[in-house]
Amino acid sequence: MTDTPGRGHFEALFNQAPCGYLMTDDGGRITAVNDTFVSWTGYGRSHLLGSQLQSLMPIGDQILYSTHCIPQLGITGAVSEIAVEIVGAKGERRAALLSASRSPASDGEPAVVRVIIFSAHERRMYEQELVAALRAAEESEARRAEAEKELQHLALHDALTGLPNRAGLKSELDQQLAGGSAGADRLAVLFIDLDHFKAVNDSLGHAAGDELLVSVAQRLLSAAAGTNTVARLSGDEFVVVDAFAGPTEATGLAAGLLEVLKTPMQIEGLEIVTSASIGVAVAKNAGETLEDLIRRADIAMYRAKELGRSRWELHEPAESDPTVDRLRALGELRSGIREGALRVHYQPRIDLRTWRTSGVEALVRWQHPTRGLLPPSEFITMAEESGLVRPLGAWVLGETLKQADNWRGEGPGGASLEFAVNLSARQLNDPELVPMVEAALRLRSIDPALLLLEITETALMADPAAALESLTALKNLGVGLAVDDFGTGYSSLTYLKKFPIDELKIDQSFINGLGSDSGDSAIVGSCIDLAHAVGIRAVAEGVETPGQAHTLKAMGCDLAQGYHFARPLPAPLLKEWLDANAGGEPACA
Amino acid sequence: MVEAATAAVSTVIRRNNVTVSGRADGPVMMFAHGYGCDQDMWRRLLPYFADDYRLVLFDHVGAGHSDVDAYDREKYGSLNGYAADLLEICESLQLKDVILVAHSVSAMIAVIAAIQEPEQFSRLILVAPSPRYTNDSADGYVGGFSQEDIEGLLASLDSNYFAWAEALAPMAMGNPETPELSEELRSSFCRTNPSIARHFARVTFLSDTRQVLGRVPTDCLILQCSDDLLAPPEVGTYVHQHLERSSLVQLQATGHCPHVSAPKATAEAILQYLAFSP
Repeated sequence: MTDTPGRGHFEALFNQAPCGYLMTDDGGRITAVNDTFVSWTGYGRSHLLGSQLQSLMPIGDQILYSTHCIPQLGITGAVSEIAVEIVGAKGERRAALLSASRSPASDGEPAVVRVIIFSAHERRMYEQELVAALRAAEESEARRAEAEKELQHLALHDALTGLPNRAGLKSELDQQLAGGSAGADRLAVLFIDLDHFKAVNDSLGHAAGDELLVSVAQRLLSAAAGTNTVARLSGDEFVVVDAFAGPTEATGLAAGLLEVLKTPMQIEGLEIVTSASIGVAVAKNAGETLEDLIRRADIAMYRAKELGRSRWELHEPAESDPTVDRLRALGELRSGIREGALRVHYQPRIDLRTWRTSGVEALVRWQHPTRGLLPPSEFITMAEESGLVRPLGAWVLGETLKQADNWRGEGPGGASLEFAVNLSARQLNDPELVPMVEAALRLRSIDPALLLLEITETALMADPAAALESLTALKNLGVGLAVDDFGTGYSSLTYLKKFPIDELKIDQSFINGLGSDSGDSAIVGSCIDLAHAVGIRAVAEGVETPGQAHTLKAMGCDLAQGYHFARPLPAPLLKEWLDANAGGEPACA
Repeated sequence: MVEAATAAVSTVIRRNNVTVSGRADGPVMMFAHGYGCDQDMWRRLLPYFADDYRLVLFDHVGAGHSDVDAYDREKYGSLNGYAADLLEICESLQLKDVILVAHSVSAMIAVIAAIQEPEQFSRLILVAPSPRYTNDSADGYVGGFSQEDIEGLLASLDSNYFAWAEALAPMAMGNPETPELSEELRSSFCRTNPSIARHFARVTFLSDTRQVLGRVPTDCLILQCSDDLLAPPEVGTYVHQHLERSSLVQLQATGHCPHVSAPKATAEAILQYLAFSP
């Protein structure tokens, strides 16, 4: 290869190179351009000569070219592989990479910028995909964090009045107590219940009732302004918590609040005079918990109601309270378990995609000798506190699996039903729990995957380390795990992610407000998003209307249960219901 | 206390990659770079001032060799965060009577800083300033860009995501005619973190500093270029009209960076202003 190519060769290389070659001045004005670029862009050569190179780019690229490339060329003399688009003569945009080098002015000759532009369609597509994926990941992370923060707030506050709810009250007081004690003052709780609130709701409607509650909240806030905390526990129940020098000061505030609440208020154009009954409890000692105080204030409030309403009553620490009743009830429950007074009812769980029944939740009932059929809310806390919950829990699980075994033999639908059974906090910490579950499954030869154990959020958080250990062991058995009453406690995704959970059950108090209360809709939406963000199912409890069911389906909720579909039914009735609703049409109660 | 103060100073110096050169006992001239670049962009201008002035240069957080870990989206969500940094640099180095040369978006950062601490600055030299880049249909203000243009800019930034990511950036092949430049500068010039560049673009191009122009008590020189995509002549005139103590000089230089493309003319305009302004 001793021959040197002639000038014609170089001209051909310039003009017919497989990429665009251009020369410009420092301002980007084109002074020379090759045939390749002319035909690639479709502009006439005379149009290109004298035009600014950057004027062939979309405006965003023009800004970058001015702020980035021109100074870089000026300072370093070169830019490399800048991604730009070139707008062709027909308006079409073509992805390209641009490299350039600059020769400074010398001997009276102006500076020259030499530019190569080559088509980069494939690479642009690839990079766009990568960047889009990156943005999506960033945004989803930001949305997740936002949803969690929002949920945290919603979970601690009552959406109607904006006051802290029960969990929020506890959280605020924990913070205050951690911040230091209020000297010699003692904590007191004023438990406020409106008189005849139901009558307002019944005669004027829920909207008026809500308006009344908001007014009451505002009055309590301004009347009780200071160091105290005002919270709404539920319905028309409010509490004011503060530190007082003694009972006289606490009841003084109660008397003041009664006066404030008596002032007439305008609700939907009507003048309404409301009143309240207030129970006051002052801490006996520093060790008395908020729950104890609320319970005692509640008792005093009931006495105020009994004594004619619109008055306050102080709970005396010495006075007898329902502890005695409780002991008697405990004895009854113990014999109830022994004598077969417990029942398991089953509530269908509906797959919202297909409207088919995918499983049932087992719910225990107590056939009380005098009080009738009692739901778990009437006795589970007592069972939990006394330790009776262990034999009770074992019995419910055994009974449910026995039923599962029966239905398995009775038809095609029964074989794949999932059975959800509740576990209490105390059971979760019971070292015998895992062997008990394992034995119960083996006894009936039930596929562990068909058993779902539900644990409340509060139970999980009571001792997260112990809970994680139990849950992991249960998971290893192959059973499914669900977080129950989600949204009422900590609602922390950070914690949830640690647990081997398959399902998140959104508390029914939020489902109630679905469609009528934007705060509740936001919570439900957040819960569903959170569940899906960590790859688990979202389940709605307490679905009572077709509207709620369809809203949940639209929100992407996976499963639902509630009176709209069916209430918890004894086994034979449930079987009939299953047979009647096997079609997969929207199920109804 | 002295130790704590020293630590705070060194934090600021490191955060903004502050460099000091020129004549140690000369009046202070501080340079604030604009969007898309870093302090290296002043290289061609500095020789005109190095003999007589103490030169203080820095990188905005997120640019050049600043401490990227110090980037806080909330703080730098408005130009105020950058102005606060600028004032902290002045305080750390105990700078007085600073002549602040500020390019592009930094011109408005300089304006904010001068309103907050007027005694800190003797003059502002605003190179290609714009108080608002987008047009305002409410009052007919012409900034030069529409909202869609800015969206287009963000899309372009995304296209260059990989070109700007330090580790992935292509190495420039270099230029035999500028051998004096180090390979390091060639490859790192104005390199930036792509996510920060995107956020800074949003903050810059959606900022509106028009309302505060009237509160600047400092003498200002406005350097206006011809053919500047980012700061058209109307914008220079607007800034001149609203800055009470300002002079406007129209440079022959074209484009957005006269200190790069025409350093001599730029330096002469500044020196002349400093020599003859009251």
